[in-house]
This record gives sequence, C-alpha cells and structure tokens, in this order.
Amino acid sequence: MASVAPNLSAVRETMDVLLEISRLLNSGLDMESLSICVRLCEQGINPEALSSVIKELRKASDSLKTSENVGS
Amino acid sequence: MASLDQKSPNVLLQSLCCRITGKSEADVAHQFQYAVRVIGSNYAPTIERDEFLVSEKIKKEFVRQRREADAALFSELHRKLQSQGVLKNRWSILYLLLSLSEDPAKPPTGYVSCPSLSQALPRDAHSTPYYCARPQSLPLNYPDRTQSAQSSGSMGSSGISSLGVYAMNGPTATPPIDNSRTQVVGDSLRQQLGSRLAWNLSAVPPSVPTSTSKGLPNSMTRSVPRSRRDCDANSCVEISEASLVRDILYVFQGIDGKCVKMSNPENCYKIDAKIAVSKSLRDTVSRLAELGWLHNKVRKYTDQRSLDRAFGLVGQHMSIVYLLYMQLQVEDDQGVNLGVDSNLTLRRLLVWTYDPKTRLKTLAALVDHCQGRKGGELASAVHAYGKTGDPYMRALVQHILSLVSHPILNFLYRWIYDGELEDMYHEFFVASDPTVKTDRLWHDKYTLRKSMIPSFITRDQARKVLLIGKSINFLHQVCQDRTPPGKMIAASKSADSPKDAAELFTDLEGAFQGKIDAAYFETSKYLLDVLNKNYLLLEHMKAMRRYLLLGQGDFIRHLMDLLKPELVRPATTLYQHNLTGILETAVRATNAQFDSPEILKRLDVRLLEVSPGDTGWDVFSLDYHVEGPIATVFTRECMSHYLRVFNFLWRAKRMEYILTDIWKGQMCNAKLLKRMPELSGVLHQCHVLASEMVHFIHQMQYYITFEVLECSWDELWNKVQQAQDLDHIIAAHEVFLDTIITRCLLDANSRPLLNQLRAIFDQIIEFQNAQEAMYRAALEELQLRLQFEERKAQREAEGEWGVTASEEEVENKRIRDFQETVPKLCTQLQILTHFYQGAVQQFLVLLTTSADESLQFLSFRLDFNEHYKAREPRLRLSLGSTRGRRSLHT
Repeated sequence: MASVAPNLSAVRETMDVLLEISRLLNSGLDMESLSICVRLCEQGINPEALSSVIKELRKASDSLKTSENVGS
Repeated sequence: MASLDQKSPNVLLQSLCCRITGKSEADVAHQFQYAVRVIGSNYAPTIERDEFLVSEKIKKEFVRQRREADAALFSELHRKLQSQGVLKNRWSILYLLLSLSEDPAKPPTGYVSCPSLSQALPRDAHSTPYYCARPQSLPLNYPDRTQSAQSSGSMGSSGISSLGVYAMNGPTATPPIDNSRTQVVGDSLRQQLGSRLAWNLSAVPPSVPTSTSKGLPNSMTRSVPRSRRDCDANSCVEISEASLVRDILYVFQGIDGKCVKMSNPENCYKIDAKIAVSKSLRDTVSRLAELGWLHNKVRKYTDQRSLDRAFGLVGQHMSIVYLLYMQLQVEDDQGVNLGVDSNLTLRRLLVWTYDPKTRLKTLAALVDHCQGRKGGELASAVHAYGKTGDPYMRALVQHILSLVSHPILNFLYRWIYDGELEDMYHEFFVASDPTVKTDRLWHDKYTLRKSMIPSFITRDQARKVLLIGKSINFLHQVCQDRTPPGKMIAASKSADSPKDAAELFTDLEGAFQGKIDAAYFETSKYLLDVLNKNYLLLEHMKAMRRYLLLGQGDFIRHLMDLLKPELVRPATTLYQHNLTGILETAVRATNAQFDSPEILKRLDVRLLEVSPGDTGWDVFSLDYHVEGPIATVFTRECMSHYLRVFNFLWRAKRMEYILTDIWKGQMCNAKLLKRMPELSGVLHQCHVLASEMVHFIHQMQYYITFEVLECSWDELWNKVQQAQDLDHIIAAHEVFLDTIITRCLLDANSRPLLNQLRAIFDQIIEFQNAQEAMYRAALEELQLRLQFEERKAQREAEGEWGVTASEEEVENKRIRDFQETVPKLCTQLQILTHFYQGAVQQFLVLLTTSADESLQFLSFRLDFNEHYKAREPRLRLSLGSTRGRRSLHT
C-alpha cells in the first residue's frame, strides 16, 4: 500500500474529479455519499449491488415521503 | 470532506443508508438489513471489470443524449482520474456512477414514451402471472439483468433459451420485506423502464398458464381482471404498439402472436382483421412479419432434411438462423439497454431487422432453390447461388457452401485414400455397383454419377477421383495387394473441419487440384508397377504379339510344317491332344523355347466350331490364356478380336505357304518336264499365274506385316510406356486392336473386301490343287515314258527289238491321249487364270475406293505396273476422280 499522507492533495483532487463526473452523470450523489461509495468500492464491494441498493433506498425514501405527504 | 479511513463496510453502508434516506440510524434498520443482504448475496460482479468499456459506455450515453460537450468533459476528467492513480478500482466507481445515472427516480429528461405505452404497461405488467410469481423466488435478479445486458458476447446458446434467461429486472420484494413494500413494487414497476419490461414480458410464451399464484398482492389481483378483459376484447380495441411489438417478436420465431397470425390460404402473416389498427401500422407489421415467414420457411426445410445423414449442415442452417435471431435479440436488447427513452417501436424493429431480413431472404431463396436436391446437386445449387456481385451475400453463400461441401469432401477423401465408399443416400458422385464381380471390377463396378458432381469440381477432376479410388480397390481386391503406398498415407488427410472444405473448394486452382493430382499420380504409378512386376502385363502383351499375331516367325513356320499333314484332314477327325503335342514339339524346336514358362504355359491350341466340309485348316487356332488382373486389359472381347486376327493372319500365311510349295514344285519339275514339249504351254501358263499369285500374296503379306501390325504395335508400345494409369493402357490397347481389325479387313465395313480376298484365296487353293493334279499326271506320264524308253533301251541292249509294234502303238496312243488332255489342262488353267484375275481386279477396285489410305497404297503396290489397269476400265480412272466420286457417294 502506497503512502497515504503525502497523497492528501491527490486524494482531494480525485474526489473533486469524481464529484464532477458524478454531477455530469446526474447520479444524485452528494459529496459525502460519494465518498462513502468510493470507500465501499475500494474495499471491493460489487458496484452493481451497491447501485441497486442505492436506488432502492432512494425509492424507499421517495415513497415514504410521498406517503407522508399524502397522509399529512 | 470525509476522510478515507478504513471503516468497515457495514458501518459505511449504514451511514450511506442514513445519508440517502435522510433518516436516523434507527429508522433505517429495514433498509439496512436489505442492503446488507443485497450486497452480501451479490458479492462477485457479473460484468467484466473493464474500465475502458465503462467509460465508453458513459461517453456513448452522453452522445446519445446529445451532450457532446459533456462527453468531452468526461473524457478529460477520466484522464485526470487515471493519471492521479489514487483509486484502485476505478471501474467500480465509474460503473456505480453510470448505473446511478440511469436511475429513473430522478426525473430523467428523456423519459417519454408514447402515452399508450405507459398506459399499457401496468396492464401488461399485471397480466403476466409469471411476473407475479416472481416475488416468491429470488431476492434480486441483478445478475440476470446484467447478464442480458452483456449477452452480446454469448451467441452460442439457441435463441429461445436465451429468451428464457430474460428474467425480471428491477428489484423485487424479498420475503422478509413486509407488505408495505408491495405497493412500492407495483409503483416501481410503473416507473421502471417501460419498454424493457414489455420486452421481458413478451419473452414469456403465451402458453404459460394464466392462473395466478398464491400470495398475490391485493393490488395486483385487482388489476388482473381488468387487464385481461382489455386485452381480449375483440372489436375496436386500441391495440397498443407494445403488444404489436410483442406479437412481432413471436412471429420472428415463427409462432403466432395474439394479433398477428399466420393466415394459411395466403401463406403470410397478417394482423387479425378484426383488430382495428391503423393502415401504416398494418403495413409495418406486414413487413416485419415477412421475417417470420422467412424463418418458417427455412425452418421447415431444415426440419425436413434433418433426417438425412449428410445434412449435418441442417444444424448449421439452424444455427445460422438462430445466429441471426440472436443478433436481432441483442440489438433489441442493446437498444433497450442504452437508455430510458428508447422504446421498441415498430419502426425501430424495421430498421434493426433490415439486415437480418436480407440474410434470411437469401437463405429462403437458397432453400427454394435447393428443394429436393441432395448431395452433390445441392452443393452445385448452392455454388450457383454464390455467383453474385454482392459481397455480403457471397460471403453468406460461401459459408453455407463450405458447410454443405464438408460431407462431400469427407466422402472424397475417404474414397481417394482408402478406396472406401459408404454412401447410403447416393450423394457422392462415384457410384458403386454391388452386383459386379471382381473380374469386371475395373470396367463396370465404379461409375461416375454425373448429376452429383458439384459444379465446382471439373469433369477431369471427377474422372481422376474415380480412377484413384478404382485403382485402390483394384489393388486390394484383384491384385490382392493391401500394402498402402507409402506416400499416399503421408499425404494429409485433414478435411475435418468445414473451414478446410471451404478453403479447398474456393481455392480450386491450388490445393484441391494439387491434392487430387498427387494422389492420382501416386496411385496410378503404384498400380502400374504392381501390374508390371508382379503380373508381367507388358510381357504378356509382347507374347500375344509373338504368338497370336504371328510375330515369332520361325515358330509359326515350323508349326505349320508340322501341322500340314494333320490339317488337311477333315475337321471332325482332329484331336486336340494331338495338336497340342505338335505345338509342344514346335515350341521346343524353335526359339520359342527360350520364352519364360509363364508365357509358354498359357499357349494352347483351340479348335473352333466345326461346320460340315471343313478341313483342319478351317478350325485350327492358337489360344492364349489370361486371368486375374491381366484379364482386365485383355478382356474377353479383346481375346476374341485377337483370335479373329489370328485366323486371318493364319490364312494369309497358309496362302504364302501354298504358293511356296507351288513354286518349289515348279522349280523342281520344270527341268523334268522339259522332255514333254506339249506341256510347255501349260507349264508356262502355270508359271505365269503362279508368279502373279505370288506377287499378290507377297504384297498382302507386306501390307499386313508392316503397314498394319508393326505400325500399330509401335504406337501401342509407345503409349503403354508413357501411360500414366491403367485406363490409358486399356484405351491404347483397344485402339490397337481396332486399328488392326479395320486394316485387316475384318470389321463390318470391309466385308466386301474381305469376301473378295477370300475368293482370291480360294482361287489360289484351287490353282494349287489343279497344279498338283497336273503335275501328278504329267509326272506319271513322264514316268511311264521314261519307263518305256528304259525298257526300249534295255531290250535293245539285250538284242531284241526295242519295242514291239503293239507296244509302240499303245505307247503312242497313250501319248496321244495325254496330249489331248493337255488342252483340257490348258483351258482349265485359263479359266482359273481368268477367275483369279477377275477377282483381283475386283479387289483392286474396292481397294481404290476404300476410305483407308493404306489400303489405297496397297492397291498401288498390287498394280505397280498397271497390269490390271490395262484390263479393267474401272481402274483406269485416276485416283483423284475416284476420290471425288467416292466423296459424292458418301
């Protein structure tokens, strides 16, 4: 594993780039979520599964919101 | 800015859940559990970890959305990412972002399908119980989804089975998830990629039982009856484009769809007339349905032919069809995958199916063309189809041709290298006749089946192929020679793949011809070697010449000498063993004894059929026994020809012999008979006639020996030495025999000539008889006179009267009698001469008008001093005019 500390700026740059890409692709991830995702992916999580999870969570939250709206 | 510390995935996951749903950690328990389950079950990614692919995909997506600037920007960013090298799994995050970007939860800009489609969706969605049954099963079907997304790589499986792979996409509810989610599921479906779903649903064969499964969420059961009702309504139903699309997709496989059915009287697919569909849609559907029709056609053909063994290409055909179909599927699928807003309209189908349709059309046309043919004919038909300028079609036909010719090539190689022919369906162009026995193997057993010769194999090649196999079989069976010629085995036998077949047949000048030629040379050379060394073919040919064609002069002469006293007897008194004994004696006494015993033992005497009045001369013949492989060259017909020629030559020889005797007699007796001056006229006539005859016979002999026999033999020998295979030898030999027979006047055309010649020969025999009689009488007379003179001298020596008056009287009377017989002899001779000359003149006339040049030259020689021309007006016409006249007649 390469040295982590000196690469802090590189890391920051990378995250910026990724955020930009994410924004381009309209993925709907904010910075924190994105960083979590990056960490998960780096640890070897299946991106397909992760993506499905995220989508599901979003839907769940949406539906809950709409039901809340309807209900209230 | 979050720090990249190493937290455990679970923690991360939980914080992600909180983040996205915006709830506290306690509330997201369900979701978290679900997330964990999902992640845990799908740990291994099913797609390729190819960063390049993903980035390409992203770019394509941008382009599709007409955001080229963004695409460029993304490229830039990606490059930066790569150069930074911080991330290890770039592809992972990129893929994640990409898949998240497709999320329809965000209102996508392009998500617009035609209203009918979106309306239709829920109906369709709920009408398929197959889908409804799904919640019970797998939790998540992402692997299937992504698998189908990547199915462009997998073309091996058949089309129908791959359709079965099309499972549900979208997250379905897992059992633990409570019923509150079922609503979500229904809603999510509604919002899901509409066309994709319709696609998946359409993949389900309509034969799935329509009974719904248990545990159906209430919301769905409610909508089921409604949808069912709608779809089955007959009149004036607004058929959605999606259902039409679905039907079309069924039609592509040859199955009737709900609305588009096969109408048999017109043999085409049509939309059910009861359904109201706009005209343009109808047209489009018809055009698409054509594909299904073509598919049916090809399928029917291949099914029919699947029983024939030689049609391994059937499977190939089918795989071609499925290949096209798979491509179609994949294209559809990719079109579907590419984006949310892609919808599977009929128009898209039209465009996508254009290419496969042309291919299928070609196939169908090919099928039509090939109806009812098999084997080599089929190959010819397919080959004929390849003569087109369109490179695409040519490639397709070439491919099919290679598959079709593969079994033919197999046949060919087996035949060439092993001589084996296993052809149950009579598809190869070499036919074997099982009823033929070994002795006729070479000539009759194997023939070319001309209709089965593929058009890319020339006649010459086919002939060579036939010859090679025939030679091998001949070696095996007739010569009992099973040793495989070494080089033949070394020659490659690899024709195991259709690709080889294709290469060979398309490269006609090169490898194929070379292979055949090589095999041909090797086999034929070996066969000839075997025949010559083991069976002494050429030796026997020479022996035939020596004995049957009277080549061995001293032997024949001696034989004739020995046989003469035997053969003058009537034919019925002859015994074969006597004659054979004489033959043996002759052999031993002459040079013939130095021949190899192999040859001598085949020499034999043969007595022809006896007609009444025949002398031995008429029935005697030599014979030469042949058997085994030699009999292939010297067949029965050949042997009978030889015997006929022998007969003729023997007769001519006999004439020569007779004349020699006559001449001998004349020479001997001339001096003796000088004392009888009254005979001198007769004798002179005899001499003259005899010399005419001698001249004639000499010329005939010359002609026969040199012009006919020697020349033909020389030709034959040259050809045989240069022969490359047994067929050449047989042909040369037959030509030889034909020439001899024609020139010896033995064929049907020369019948008059031959008759004339026979007449001449008869005259000669008569002359011989007459002369002999005359000589006998003359000699007797001479003897008596001499005796008289002797007695007279003796008596005078004793002192008595030499002769008494009575004796003298008797003597004189006798002399006078004798002298009176002389004119009779004279006239007899004259008549003989007249007949003879008449016969010769006739013969000459016939000769000059004959077509054969050598016979014409014979006439020159026979009449060199124009002796006959003077007497025969017909001969006075010059040769040119006769030729002209002849050509007028002929």
